[in-house]
Amino acid sequence: MEIWNIVAQIFPYAVAFTVPLLITSLGGLFSERSGVVNIGLEGLMVMGFFAAAVTVKGIEDLLPSGAIPIGLLAAALGGALFSLLHAFASINLNADQIISGTAINMMASAVTIYLARTFTGSGNIRIRTGILRRDIPWLADVPGLGPLLFSQTYWTTWLVLLLLAISWFLLYRTSFGLRLRACGEHPSSAASAGVNVYFMRYMGVTISGAFAGLGGGIILVTYSGEFNGSVAGLGFLALAALIFGQWKPLGVLGATLFFGFAATVANVSQVIPQLAVIPPLLLKSFPYVVTLAALVLFSRSSRAPRASGQPYYPGQG
Amino acid sequence: MKRIRRLGGRVFLVAALACMAFGSAAAGAALKVGMVTDAGTIDDKSFNQGTWEGVLKAEKELGVQVKYLKPGGTTEADYLKEIGNLYDAGYRFIVTPGFKFETSIHKAQNKYPNGKFVLLDGTPHKGDYAPEVGENTVSIFFAEHEAGFMAGFASALQLKEGPVGFVGGMEIPPVQKFNWGFQQGVAFANERYGTKITMTPENFVYQGSFDNVAAGQQLAASMYDRGVRAIFAAAGGVGVGVINEAKTRAASGKEAWVIGVDVDQYAEGIYDGQKSIILTSAMKRIDQAAYDLIKTELEGKFPGGRTLIFNAANNGVGIPVRNPNLDEKTQRTADEIFAKLQAGGIVVAAEQKGLIK
Repeated sequence: MEIWNIVAQIFPYAVAFTVPLLITSLGGLFSERSGVVNIGLEGLMVMGFFAAAVTVKGIEDLLPSGAIPIGLLAAALGGALFSLLHAFASINLNADQIISGTAINMMASAVTIYLARTFTGSGNIRIRTGILRRDIPWLADVPGLGPLLFSQTYWTTWLVLLLLAISWFLLYRTSFGLRLRACGEHPSSAASAGVNVYFMRYMGVTISGAFAGLGGGIILVTYSGEFNGSVAGLGFLALAALIFGQWKPLGVLGATLFFGFAATVANVSQVIPQLAVIPPLLLKSFPYVVTLAALVLFSRSSRAPRASGQPYYPGQG
Repeated sequence: MKRIRRLGGRVFLVAALACMAFGSAAAGAALKVGMVTDAGTIDDKSFNQGTWEGVLKAEKELGVQVKYLKPGGTTEADYLKEIGNLYDAGYRFIVTPGFKFETSIHKAQNKYPNGKFVLLDGTPHKGDYAPEVGENTVSIFFAEHEAGFMAGFASALQLKEGPVGFVGGMEIPPVQKFNWGFQQGVAFANERYGTKITMTPENFVYQGSFDNVAAGQQLAASMYDRGVRAIFAAAGGVGVGVINEAKTRAASGKEAWVIGVDVDQYAEGIYDGQKSIILTSAMKRIDQAAYDLIKTELEGKFPGGRTLIFNAANNGVGIPVRNPNLDEKTQRTADEIFAKLQAGGIVVAAEQKGLIK
């Protein structure tokens, strides 16, 4: 039972670490399913991270209870707006999507640090308090699952799970989802059926921007508490999780949870005597080694959207 | 008429020239003090900021002219370039914070024999770690173990019982010395003042980096979950995660203390009104060191070629003067112990022997 207690104890923190990754990866899913590769997720997260920090910092004294929701809204908006650059370059200008995404990543940290210094005089923006963790009444007391899923939760976790459910429904149960996926598989067929490929791809990229921005905002209000110009590679990890999860919402959930849990175990292993016997280096590299192995194994049967990464020219065959 | 005007113009010109001459004479008297920043911003709440505050204090109180330059990168060449830029602009007294400047200052002290250099928390060498402090350079170190000792002692006295922990960044000497001193401070309080603070190996960890905020938060959360009452965080960005976790807990009404590092971190731990989770901070008075050295130069007593240790005895390390989270009695006792430390009545070891990690 010892192991179970350890799992129960660190699981809430693993979930907290997973959530920004999950929502960002889900954003990437929309973009890629519409046919636009988005390696700018990292930069979009930074943008949301920054937008949330500026907003929360600006209004936390006036509106102590509303600051965080408004900040997260600003994060999603900031990410969405910034992603329009990527959308314009890759959809209208038919630019190389990898290069455009790289540009997003490079610009985001430079622009945000510059703006942060202009607005607040410091490259770091600290907010007073983030979201407080809560136990869900009576559900947290359910033996087994209670301590795992319903104790010490941030409300953003439930928001993201809701968005995950909505995304699944949107992608697989609505005509919008069908059209979006068609644009990622065979845009000219979709166009011949009357689908506006440009519009659908814009939607895909903008949603990815909003979700990645939200992911960055969630980092701020949960475990970080301070904007510092970097999300430490989580955007790229989200991209890996997207591939690992085979471009499917539930696959992405599984992949990000795996990353989140493995990273958390590695982080806290030193404090837990039962885990401290395993060399930390082994634990830290574990999720990456598994991902590499999985990518190699799945590369044959990979289900990447077929037109992902290819510019769309109207009238092409 | 024309002539008068010309004359008037000439008088004006002479007057202007006189003013300029006078002005430059006044400026010539003022020492020009330059600073090159390390990685991070001038307001990093750590080394850069501390150094710059000392330089600014010198500007205000000693009337020196000041300027800082931020290098484009953190290589020796980047640092040397900015040192050269300052030197060429007439800033011949140059202060640099952090051990990363060690090789750059080694080159600069030979390249600019007329310049004067202060290296905080490092010693010049040519890449082989064999100290070579030039006649125009002063190398400064801090007795982190004494700062850690005071913070550990004051925290133990305030908390009286229960476990405490430590989260370090990389396992390098300045961080280790903070840790070792901290443990000795706690042990001292347990021994002499009857406190019952416990320290166990699993609560004394080095995360391994200075920027993994998430790991800092998760480590802190796990420690607090296991009953740790206060965490000494000497870990840069990892410490940001520790502070954030403690703030979240305190805001939900749970006890969680953090002991700050390098500078007085009280303001960073504020979660509600004026209430902060920072119990006290183990400080290196970087600002004091920068200011003092500028002062010695103005007095013509610049200790070139020497390595100085800033410790309790010369007020170079310690805990903040005001600690709102320590009660009066604790503060008073801590002040007494600090006086003893200064006088040499208490000796803190700067090595591990018998301590955790």
